Amino acid sequence: MAWSAIRRWRDELGDVYVLGAVRVALGLLLFANALRALRDLQRGYFGDAFHWPILPEGLVPSRTGYAALVVSQVLLAMLVVAGYRARLALCASALAGTYLLLCDRLQFHHNRWALFCYSLLLSLSPCDRSFFIAGEIPGTRTDSLWAARLTQLQVSIIYVASGGWKLLDSDWRGGRVLLERFHLYGSLAIARGVPPAVLDWVSSPECTSALAKLAIATELFLAVGLWRSRTRVFALWWGVVFHLVIEATSNVEGFTWLTLAVYGLFATPDVRARKLFYDSSRHRGRAIARVVWLLDWLARFEIRAWAPDAVKRGHAVVVVRRDGTHATGIGALAMIARATPLIFPLWGPLAFVASFTRAGETSTGA
Amino acid sequence: MLEVGPRARVGIAACWIAGQAALVTTAPLRPDRIFGFCMFPEASTMQIHLERELDGRRAAVPHGKWSAHDAAGQLAAFSWEDRVRDPILSQLDTRVFASYGVDAQLARLQRALDDVADHMPEDAETARLIAEVTVWKNGREPSTVTVFSHWRRRS
Repeated sequence: MAWSAIRRWRDELGDVYVLGAVRVALGLLLFANALRALRDLQRGYFGDAFHWPILPEGLVPSRTGYAALVVSQVLLAMLVVAGYRARLALCASALAGTYLLLCDRLQFHHNRWALFCYSLLLSLSPCDRSFFIAGEIPGTRTDSLWAARLTQLQVSIIYVASGGWKLLDSDWRGGRVLLERFHLYGSLAIARGVPPAVLDWVSSPECTSALAKLAIATELFLAVGLWRSRTRVFALWWGVVFHLVIEATSNVEGFTWLTLAVYGLFATPDVRARKLFYDSSRHRGRAIARVVWLLDWLARFEIRAWAPDAVKRGHAVVVVRRDGTHATGIGALAMIARATPLIFPLWGPLAFVASFTRAGETSTGA
Repeated sequence: MLEVGPRARVGIAACWIAGQAALVTTAPLRPDRIFGFCMFPEASTMQIHLERELDGRRAAVPHGKWSAHDAAGQLAAFSWEDRVRDPILSQLDTRVFASYGVDAQLARLQRALDDVADHMPEDAETARLIAEVTVWKNGREPSTVTVFSHWRRRS
């Protein structure tokens, strides 16, 4: 049974369109990381001051070598985004970044290490078949998904590690760490738009204790829930909310956007499996279709205008799910949010409201 | 070049998972727990007070700056920040957030003290550097830790 599961993973094929979108997002984050290193270099070369290499000191690059490496990281990130020799550039970016982390552990941050892990794994996948502006046009977009699945597994490894360490730490479990973080960073959260009354409420020991347990449970749930088809959409939504809250209350460099980008790999590997019909005679229908067309980065929808008939009359848009069922009104909006990355945070409340309507938004397989 | 055959896929995945598992489970053996994905491990703060030891007595190092004679008797100026640019360790006599936890910062401080001690050959007076560190671990009552650089060989 285990061997048959391994074989299924090893030989799985699917549309790799989404891999290109994730590659572009990783490329942008690699670019931002390389620019930060370049700015740091302008302030001074790390090797001229106290640093703590993991590698032998003799393997730490000279100032010139380091400058060349950082500039090459900028160029490699551009290649990753452009899609030209993208896999090689992604692999080289990951190796160069890891090498530099090993040259000075003072510069180590989990988000940087995670970025290089994801980049290396994604470079083993056919992530260069979509979202490219240069190079050869690929013959087919159906290819192996083994490396994409391994990249997804890395997401779970990070959640298990992070949640597991917190679970083993009594200060974390009891809420003491969160309580102190709120005391230390409360002003930052308020500056980022968190209402002071909310901060006061969550900064009580009882609340931080509950929040700590919720955070641990969330990380451990995400490690598993992202893989199960019945829980995947909720896990993705809950994960997005979880990471956006962290982003609002802490300084995590690019970790939020990195994790949300890699969430794209959990999308079903197909394209335009759902249909969005809109009434081209109505402004609302045209506007929604236009917005979906602009934001449908994962190519979830086939978008078509229709001539209103007896079934569709009265609706600006109708979404046809994978299973062929129709969603209209708030249910259609929930379906659009569910499949559109930028407005995905709205899926939870929309789906909740839609669940009270007659049509509902209950189809889990769609 | 990056195409991988079916057999190699299993091998690569097995090595990757084993490697990550090893890095994560051995994280507590490293003071800064790097490669362990131990996110937000603590909410501790610390304050570093730097001193020099001169033939059995201690001298304060206000703002990380001091003057000392070299072997020829010339007076020279020294600064902690000339070598230590880390945003946490460079802030002396100021309460700062101990990113990645107190153990991580104390380990870094130990190496920073040794590094500075090794990079001031003109200072013929300082026997070693001492950091008195006040630590507030996860908001608890403060405790003090003393970290010493290694003894310097003065010319």
